[in-house]
Amino acid sequence: MRFSRLRIPLLTLAIAATALPVQAQDVLDPKEIVDRVDRIMRGDSSHGVLEMSVVTKRWKRTLSLEIWSMGTEKSLIRILKPKKEAGTATLKVEDDIWNYLPKIDRTIRVPSSMMGGAWMGSHFTNDDLVKHSRLVRDYDIDVAFSGQREGVEVWEFELTPLPDAAVVWGKILYQVRQDDLMPVWARYYDEDDELKRTLLFDDYQRMGGRLIPARMRMVPSDKPNEFTQMLYSGLEFNLEISDRVFSLSALRK
Amino acid sequence: MLVLRLGWRNLWRNPRRSVISISTMATAFVILALFLAMMAGLVRQLLDNGTGLMLGHLQLHHPEYLPDRSYFDTLGGDDGIDLQLCRQLESDPLVEAASVRLYAFALLSTGEHSAGAQVIGVDPPSEARVTMLLDGLTDGRGLEGEPMGRILLGEGLARELKASAGDEVAALTQAADGSLGNDLFRMAGVLRTGISHLDRSLAVTHFSDLQSLMAFDQDRAHEIALRLTDPLQADGFSLRYNSAGDRIEGTQASSWGELSPQLRDYLNMADGMYGFLIGLIGIFAALGVLNTMMMAVFERSREIGTVAALGMSPSKILLSFMAESFYLSLIGVSAGFVLSLLLLIPLTSQGIDLSKWIGEMSIMNARMDPVIIFEWPWTAFLWSAIGLTGASLLASALPARRAARMNPVEALGARKDS
Repeated sequence: MRFSRLRIPLLTLAIAATALPVQAQDVLDPKEIVDRVDRIMRGDSSHGVLEMSVVTKRWKRTLSLEIWSMGTEKSLIRILKPKKEAGTATLKVEDDIWNYLPKIDRTIRVPSSMMGGAWMGSHFTNDDLVKHSRLVRDYDIDVAFSGQREGVEVWEFELTPLPDAAVVWGKILYQVRQDDLMPVWARYYDEDDELKRTLLFDDYQRMGGRLIPARMRMVPSDKPNEFTQMLYSGLEFNLEISDRVFSLSALRK
Repeated sequence: MLVLRLGWRNLWRNPRRSVISISTMATAFVILALFLAMMAGLVRQLLDNGTGLMLGHLQLHHPEYLPDRSYFDTLGGDDGIDLQLCRQLESDPLVEAASVRLYAFALLSTGEHSAGAQVIGVDPPSEARVTMLLDGLTDGRGLEGEPMGRILLGEGLARELKASAGDEVAALTQAADGSLGNDLFRMAGVLRTGISHLDRSLAVTHFSDLQSLMAFDQDRAHEIALRLTDPLQADGFSLRYNSAGDRIEGTQASSWGELSPQLRDYLNMADGMYGFLIGLIGIFAALGVLNTMMMAVFERSREIGTVAALGMSPSKILLSFMAESFYLSLIGVSAGFVLSLLLLIPLTSQGIDLSKWIGEMSIMNARMDPVIIFEWPWTAFLWSAIGLTGASLLASALPARRAARMNPVEALGARKDS
């Protein structure tokens, strides 16, 4: 879908011109919008550097991470700093996750029973690495709201899991700005319709030729004073990355 | 003591009937004694196994550690405690041994295979004096006397990891400083607790190894498990400890009954069954006595009329019948007691092997041994004797009262038997 980069501004222009938000739903399938939002953030491939800060009641720490990704299936995240943990890496290939630990020079596959566990001590789970890139595949997506929120035209999508999808959430609400398809927040609800956590996006910036939310912050609802923040300092898209980068042997670099 | 003599003599007027009644009474006592001895044995086993596997009789924790078991809530809070205080606890006459423990949830891996595990860090010699946790070693050399960096895996866990003694096991956990704690261990054996969910998830390592994996200081621990000389005093001990001014700061004691209310309920239920059973068997025995005594009164109405006419007071008549039934139950209970002793001597030493029928089983997270060693039920003996005698006295009261109230004239003319 090479045309998408041009097509989005054109479409939004058209929508703005007619000033009929209802038509937005007719013009664009909500599934397609969410898919497009996802593609903007990821590209066919991407490489970036970010700072992850984790704040809990007990400790606070900041890690410098380097990320490579290819499509939705493969990604590699490596800790650059602090020195003590440098080289620690996570490889995701399809549904599998491996952690490489340089101190013991071993690679550990995360078993399916522990996919719900915290990733690298953050408020993200291993599952988030695997599942975030396939919202479109696992959820039925409806437009729950379309219009102005705090002066900005947005869509709010309601994502309900498809009957046979193996997901942990009962519902996800996802707010996306209409004019530039930037995500604003995602709210994750459990099966009892209780808000469990909120992912906030902001600091929209141009990086690697694209507008992206440079900052993402995950806040668990039961511990509102805790959060994990990812702040991108550099990001490039659609570069050539060798397949070997996403291999177990490359993991122990 | 005319009444007693009369009662004794009357008892042997119809020896066959009396012997049958006495045998009933004796049998009732033996049934009760054996059953209660078995129950007491089961209860003892349940208590020993229920507390002996991991629980101990008493545990000390940070006051907020239970029920969430957050790994930050270590004994004494963030400052920890001087773990040498543990030895001080052992100076209490009621405390037999104490063991310091640390818990962590970790991801264990043997390369291809990985699984989540509940890792317990212990000082092996101390732990061995408190619980039987380390006794279930089925393969390998165990932890005691071995160098650091060793780990034992539950049977199911070892199977899941496809690991056997000597293999290398990588452990990954969320450390206390937020980093990913990771270390390599050498598998030192397989643990078999008999509790399937534990066998699937349990791993045991040296206390200090787990401390360093979790990036904890030397004075941080989650739990001190105590073994008492008498498990039944655990509640009292925990109450005393928690109100004492000199307890270790930032710690709170919980007895096995508080830690495992199901176990306590189960034992209480077993205790409640004693009374029920004594009552039930007592009623049957009493019916036998009632029958015997009614027959006796019926048979002897002429004689009762005679002694009444000769001036024996109704209360003495009543007492003589009561005395008869008292002797009856006394002989019955004594015979039953002697018989029970004979039967219980082998049963309390070798026990009875039920493995043919029940195989291996577990109740309340405690492995039950198919060999039941009976326990001498001394108090149950006493209560059975009191219960059976009381029941037979009560049962004889009715016919005895009838005898006492007989009108001599009517009684004399009532029947012309023999």
